[in-house]
Amino acid sequence: MLISSEKCRELTDAGIVQKSLEELDYFSCLYDRYEEKMLSYIMRLSSLSRFEAEDILQEAFIKVWKNLKGIDTTLPLSSWLYRLVHNETISHLRKSKSYGKNNTIEFEKISLADETEDQLFDESNGKNDPVGFSNAILNKMALKYREVLVLKFLEKLSYEEISDVLKIPEGTVAVRINRAKQAFKKLASNDISKVTF
Amino acid sequence: MKNSDKLIQRLREEKVEQVPAWKFKFSSGLILLVFLAAVLFGGLAFSVILYSLRETGFWALEHLEHSGWEMVLSVLPFIWLILILVFLVIAIYSIQFSKKGYKLALGRWVMYSVALSVVIGTIFYLGGGGQWLEKTFETRLSFYESVQDKKAKMWMQPKEGFLAGSLQETNPDYLILKDFEGKEWKLYYEKAFIAPVVNLEVGEKVKLNGEMISDSEFQVTDIKPWQGRKGPRN
Repeated sequence: MLISSEKCRELTDAGIVQKSLEELDYFSCLYDRYEEKMLSYIMRLSSLSRFEAEDILQEAFIKVWKNLKGIDTTLPLSSWLYRLVHNETISHLRKSKSYGKNNTIEFEKISLADETEDQLFDESNGKNDPVGFSNAILNKMALKYREVLVLKFLEKLSYEEISDVLKIPEGTVAVRINRAKQAFKKLASNDISKVTF
Repeated sequence: MKNSDKLIQRLREEKVEQVPAWKFKFSSGLILLVFLAAVLFGGLAFSVILYSLRETGFWALEHLEHSGWEMVLSVLPFIWLILILVFLVIAIYSIQFSKKGYKLALGRWVMYSVALSVVIGTIFYLGGGGQWLEKTFETRLSFYESVQDKKAKMWMQPKEGFLAGSLQETNPDYLILKDFEGKEWKLYYEKAFIAPVVNLEVGEKVKLNGEMISDSEFQVTDIKPWQGRKGPRN
């Protein structure tokens, strides 16, 4: 690494962007800072392997670099990054023939124990669901529902941040999350009888 | 090798160029300009619609007893209604590409764009702009059916109680009027409301409401000047 981790840590997001515009090497700080978070998001959204997710992230960050001078300074940098990474992932999924078929990645551990919507996505309640069960359910859902569920309950973004990532009004985000939760619950209750705990 | 190092190496090797800042500013400016221009042109179209509806006496059509819809459709300023819709679509479409265009729902953008066009159009209309624009179209475009043509069509329906033309003879018991098709009418007007600006002089153009009592006789209830008062109504 050309810029030391210590040096990167001292910089704010805006500072990294500023430094990157002056010296390319500083761009690595941005990648390192968001790499795990964005890889996790890509995998959650697409069920792709880490290897594929890394490819997508590389492509997304090349776009980030290209558009760095047009960065929307009114948005938190993370929202802007999520947006570009999201778009790159969707673009990849649309091109990919295996879209929706690769469900082999272990997804988040989601409990279906009591069927309140928030608890369905609560990772901290310590109850593990069967491997890939929640992933399989999410993959059955329409993309517009899956993406809001992932952003809200797994990425823990606010409505405003989701609105900025998906470029839809906050009201639409709220409606979509509500419908997605209902759809998830319905699919989960249909499928739960088939699962062996 | 870390992924971040691979990325930097790739950016260097492929000499990936950044999009210059001016392109982003130009693009944002252009989007805003298209939106504002579309709202402005929508406003101008709305001013002509206002002028057109006022000038033809469109609101009197609610009193039509027969073939009302046919007349309504023939009098409506369709070109301008289509134009206002086109400009509205352009405004809404363009604003979606702006940085913050997604913040408001489509319905809100439609509402705000229409409101802005209505305000601009009303101001333009009150300043006489609607009439000026309409006249410009009338003189420059041969296929354009002017407001005056629509107005004549609207007021040449004696069976529906609408008649217009120029006065040929005036006396206390009746008036003789030649309509725009050259036909003479005998008008009975003893109980009619006569607008203060009407002088009942030979050669004066008037529009009338009332009832057709025979092929050449008309019982008048209202006599109004063919042209409205000065200002935006003209």
